[in-house]
Amino acid sequence: MLLVILGVGLGLLYGWVINPVKYVDTTPAKLRSDYQTDYILMVAEAYQAEGDLDLAARRLAVLGDSHPAEIVRQGMILAAQINYADSDQELLSQLASELQTWIPSPGGVQP
Amino acid sequence: MRDERGHWYLLTGFAIGIILGLVYAWLIAPQGHQDTSPASLQSEFKDQYRAMIASAFVATGNLPRAEARLALLGDSDVARVLAEQAQRTLGGGKSPLEAQALGLLAVALGQGDSAAIPSPVPSLTPTHNQNTANPAQSTTDPAPSEMTPVETANAAAVSPSLSPTNPDPQETNLILSTATPLPTRTPSVTPGSPFVLQTNTFVCDVDLPNPLIQVIAEDSSGAPLPGQAVIITWDSGDDFFFTGLKPEIGLGYADFLMDPGVLYQVRMADGGQSVPDITPAECETESGSRYWGSWQLVFSRP
Repeated sequence: MLLVILGVGLGLLYGWVINPVKYVDTTPAKLRSDYQTDYILMVAEAYQAEGDLDLAARRLAVLGDSHPAEIVRQGMILAAQINYADSDQELLSQLASELQTWIPSPGGVQP
Repeated sequence: MRDERGHWYLLTGFAIGIILGLVYAWLIAPQGHQDTSPASLQSEFKDQYRAMIASAFVATGNLPRAEARLALLGDSDVARVLAEQAQRTLGGGKSPLEAQALGLLAVALGQGDSAAIPSPVPSLTPTHNQNTANPAQSTTDPAPSEMTPVETANAAAVSPSLSPTNPDPQETNLILSTATPLPTRTPSVTPGSPFVLQTNTFVCDVDLPNPLIQVIAEDSSGAPLPGQAVIITWDSGDDFFFTGLKPEIGLGYADFLMDPGVLYQVRMADGGQSVPDITPAECETESGSRYWGSWQLVFSRP
């Protein structure tokens, strides 16, 4: 029994640490949260120049089924935790604010 | 009986334990299945991620940040991948602005300096730079693949990001079109004097067997201009594309494949001089064999 437990331990060590599963062909929704936050920041940066809220919402839709404003709000929380520059946080805040009242145009993305 | 079995049953138990451990670690509860990196994205999502990076780059002009983000995708030749995606985007009839952004980023990376980097959108309010650093410092940033979440945040703060601007999109776009030399957000509002045709040359090159319209855009000093929209019209249609999507040939270069027997009209999208009656013509080698020649049009700003 002791050897079985030892074997399980070694199997877990190998499968989780030494040779963990390598993921391919994933979706943006599976990205680590800090990568998702950076993606949201990119959307905010582009929105600042383009001014296209529908496009911003469409870009955010790949991160999940939540309302785009909620996605940005989650990004803002993490951005604050990991000390994004104030100006970047302001960009996120502005996008979140705009999305609060956003109504999808016909044929646009549905949150 | 017991003596014949020896100690092998112990090894069997150990092997079963390892198998159980691996099954759990690889199949039942694999590590980090919700915490992947951009390098693991499906190719279509990688394209979308690249396009997002390019759009953000065009908006901010922050090349170090764009480089750090692109590194996360793990592409071996980033500029080439961007240029190819730009051409795919144009060929697939997707957003020309997206293609332009990809092309501009490819050119900026290929140049390695700020010549092709678009100016950031001017802010309408005083900027807040207190938590930002000189873009040059980005060269000392850790490799993005080694970034921890905190390091990622630092990379995101590499250079001054823009302060919030007036939320009115129309006002933002107006500023973009009048104060930003590169790039324009629409092909028809390129700032500066309209392009003027400098040369219109028929080129016979056996290495270019297809009939091409080759367009080269230059500034007044002869320096190549990437990201310039070229409009081609003919009886049954029209098309437009951007210079700089083939940086391996030239930063101000773009080309278009002609159909034999069709008359084309070429002009830069800023409303400058139009060149009519461009049509494929044949060249002849010394041995008498024929092949298609190309038209090379050089446009420059006066």
